[in-house]
Amino acid sequence: MREPFKQRVPRDFVGSYHPRVDGLAKASGRAEYLDDVVAGMRNVLYAKVLRSPYPHARIKSMDTSKAEALPGVKAVLRYDDPALADLPATCCAWTSVNSASHDQMYYPNIKDHKILDSTVRWVGDEAGVVVAAESEAIADAALDLVEIEWERLPFVLDQYDSLQPEAPILHPDINPDDNLLPVHEFSGGDVFIEKGDAPAALAQADVVVEATCQYHRADHSALDTRGCLITWEGDKLTCWNNYYAPDQTRMYVSQMTGLPLKNVRVINPYIGGNFGRCNMGEQSFYIFTALLAKKTGRPVRYKMTRREDFHDTRNPVNYRVKLGAKKDGTIVAADFKALGDTGAYHGHGMASVKLVVKWDVLENMMAPIPNLRYEGYVVYTNKVPGGCMRGIGNIQHNFAMGLGIDMLGEELGIDPVEIAIKNYGHEWEPAPNKSVEAVLRTGAERIGWKDRHPAGKGPVYDGARKRGMGFSGNCTWHAAWQEEMRGRVQAQVKLNPDMSVVLQAPMVETGVGSNACVTFACADALSFLGTKPEDIHWVSVVDTETGLKDMIQTDSSCAYLQPELMPAIGTQLKAELINRAAAVLEAAPEEIDIVDGKAFVKADPERGRLIRDMLWFGDMVPVVVTVTQMPDVTKTGAPFAATFAEVEVDTETGKVDVLRMVVVHDCGTVMYASGAEAQQVGSQTFGIGESLTEEIVYDPATGAPLNFNWVDYSLPTILDFPDIEPVLLEVWRGAGEYGACGMGEGASTSTPRAIANAVYNAIGVRVDEIPMKPEKILAALAKGGYKVPEPPTPPSRLAAGVDR
Amino acid sequence: MASHAGAITLVVNGSTVTLDPSRDFHPSDTLSSVLRDRLGYTGLKVACDQGACGACTVLLDGRAVLSCMMLALEADGHEVLTIEGLPADDPVIQAFYEQCEPGYGTAMQCGFCTPGFVMAAKGLLNENPDPTMDEVKEALAGNICRCGCYPAIARAVLKAAATMKARAAGAAGAATSGAGSAKEATHA
Repeated sequence: MREPFKQRVPRDFVGSYHPRVDGLAKASGRAEYLDDVVAGMRNVLYAKVLRSPYPHARIKSMDTSKAEALPGVKAVLRYDDPALADLPATCCAWTSVNSASHDQMYYPNIKDHKILDSTVRWVGDEAGVVVAAESEAIADAALDLVEIEWERLPFVLDQYDSLQPEAPILHPDINPDDNLLPVHEFSGGDVFIEKGDAPAALAQADVVVEATCQYHRADHSALDTRGCLITWEGDKLTCWNNYYAPDQTRMYVSQMTGLPLKNVRVINPYIGGNFGRCNMGEQSFYIFTALLAKKTGRPVRYKMTRREDFHDTRNPVNYRVKLGAKKDGTIVAADFKALGDTGAYHGHGMASVKLVVKWDVLENMMAPIPNLRYEGYVVYTNKVPGGCMRGIGNIQHNFAMGLGIDMLGEELGIDPVEIAIKNYGHEWEPAPNKSVEAVLRTGAERIGWKDRHPAGKGPVYDGARKRGMGFSGNCTWHAAWQEEMRGRVQAQVKLNPDMSVVLQAPMVETGVGSNACVTFACADALSFLGTKPEDIHWVSVVDTETGLKDMIQTDSSCAYLQPELMPAIGTQLKAELINRAAAVLEAAPEEIDIVDGKAFVKADPERGRLIRDMLWFGDMVPVVVTVTQMPDVTKTGAPFAATFAEVEVDTETGKVDVLRMVVVHDCGTVMYASGAEAQQVGSQTFGIGESLTEEIVYDPATGAPLNFNWVDYSLPTILDFPDIEPVLLEVWRGAGEYGACGMGEGASTSTPRAIANAVYNAIGVRVDEIPMKPEKILAALAKGGYKVPEPPTPPSRLAAGVDR
Repeated sequence: MASHAGAITLVVNGSTVTLDPSRDFHPSDTLSSVLRDRLGYTGLKVACDQGACGACTVLLDGRAVLSCMMLALEADGHEVLTIEGLPADDPVIQAFYEQCEPGYGTAMQCGFCTPGFVMAAKGLLNENPDPTMDEVKEALAGNICRCGCYPAIARAVLKAAATMKARAAGAAGAATSGAGSAKEATHA
């Protein structure tokens, strides 16, 4: 039995250790996902889309006559059909946290994505033609019968090669000069942060450390592969799917098909994991599936295979970090340069390098550092597009900054934990930041940090195995600016005459447990009725036709934004019940109170009536309260999280094993303790996998990915999992009733850097390119280091004299 | 029983099902697709379709198998147990549901892998009712939980084993005391 966390404000259900509210449905296999919901549907056709066999090519001509003639094929839709050809180009990063129309998308100058384009830009790109047939097998066979004359184009896989003048240009419509994504004010120019004078401060610093590192491409690999089932009857379209933003899907489908919003119904059941995949506000498959449903008049199912589901990934970023400090460990300047590889389309590549650093990390973690300079570029390559994955860019930035902190500690002979405490913090609290201090000191104590030996100087086990400890810390994800953009939040409580409650707090349950958070907050808000979580039914299916506006399940912010509405719902429900009781009890509303489900006259408590009796023996009409409310977006900074890791490196084989981890998270308010700990423990699957085994491998000769499957793309199993101690704290406090923060992104941000620093502490040699596979460890041991290139200034910028 | 050439008979969750290849399935169909798409047992999930994740695990004659890696034909004449065939108070289901003690998180988040883990755990406990932590890990090493609930899953399986043991002891105790009182009654 481990120690439970200590609650700052005692509450009955918020913050409790409790089974998941959907736990029994999920444990018994009764929870329904997209595959299960559509399994019983009749008359369904199956869609299959052509996937590019080439990394860069153009369809010169296409003959689909044999495919069309194949028995069982019901429709063939080609790139040159006006239904497709006339569709506007979009940006993969159309939106993220809110529902936005085509004319309000984040990056209006990067509309680089056409639905089933005739030009393909990565092996696996959806292109040219899609078919609908009586079975998936027939649809596959039909695609095999399509005859295509391809014009193969030169391709570029490497992010550095892609900058060179001779590189083939992927999107001449977006940028005719080279493969750089054009700058936009939303994310800033090439030098997107300039505070103070970093070069001058570095020149005067007592010590300067400088290093390079490379974050790579990893896949979300959620179990539930993406897809949809669409019916289009008359002017009415219904789309069952497993994306996590039903209202944005409705917006996208409406805008691309021309159907008004009222005629587009989007339904989302439970989904089997998401982790930020497709966090782009648009997916081609909705549109081509819809057009096939229209053409055939039948329901059409599209489902990605596991191979196809390797469809967007973590954005790789190559960093150079330079930190200057005084002898006492005070950082006087930080200078970063980054090159991001967004793959074939812009799926939030700009956010990975610039936006999140500019809008979150800067004010919530780097604020105490007086001189800052960030320069960044994002480049297209002929690879699978990048996107969001448990955060956007914060993990890549942390991989660089945590390296600088570790190096500075060694250079100055100061514990790097103390350097972090001295220098990390947000704009709204002077350093040392209480959250940073509490998180890092707790982690250090729990892992036994004081016993850490100097790098490479520890004991050797069994002749070849060396152990080491590392840590990294990060600001968690609490983006008030994003919450402002999301706008108002909606929820509804329906009190039935038997006192059971139906709670409509629409969000797609991806697994993060925000349904428990809002259910517990609802029970606390209805404590005057004696309501328990078991009395509340949270509506798990989101339906844009019958339901309220869904809360897009990003930033894990559903976990607190919907609960923040519950106090208002409780107040309004109580007022309505008091009004009803006033008539029954023949007293003025202000004379009445409700406690434990009973309304009574305060001056004469004997004069009372159970609310249940009042409703049950009344008209039995449920009492409904709907609240639409803007969250309190007062900026309060963000709390801190950290990962401490102990690893063992086999210096003969190069294999790294994570032995132990302590994951500390200041949550502001812990909304659901068991769920929060599940997020802390669970998000380490990503960190451990990305650090040690997970990597998409490309064949440089053909441009083909070699491991779009789970045999060759190696995910952590129960055997790879170390002992992990989750520690929850409540130190920082945000705005609102709870002032909580998200967990899913913050708890995984520091893991790769903590493991990399632990590896260095074990073997005394840095390997700052992940995954740290055995061959890299052995190469580093043999050569005394592992060289990661420095992000170059793009030649086109040098020519223009932009380099500063 | 009259059946067409090539027909197969499965006993699924105690019910006998005969499937005719001319109508009900194709000889190349996997057991997972027949169970899900033909017979409606959607509790099992297909996530990788290549035997790498365990989400499709069912029991075949009491042993855990990957239903995406075997043909329905191969299950001919065998007993298949899917998660729908477990009783509501099954100790493994209960343990997965209830797991929430401080320090380990919950035994599922998105829940897509959970039926596979539950059935793999059933298979283990059928063969080894009192497994060690290492044996639990070994038995579940073929199942992927991308949400990363492994520590809580392992604890849930150990708790399920303890519950089964306690229930068996309770049943044996009840049987013994029952026999005792019968004896007394005889003496009286």
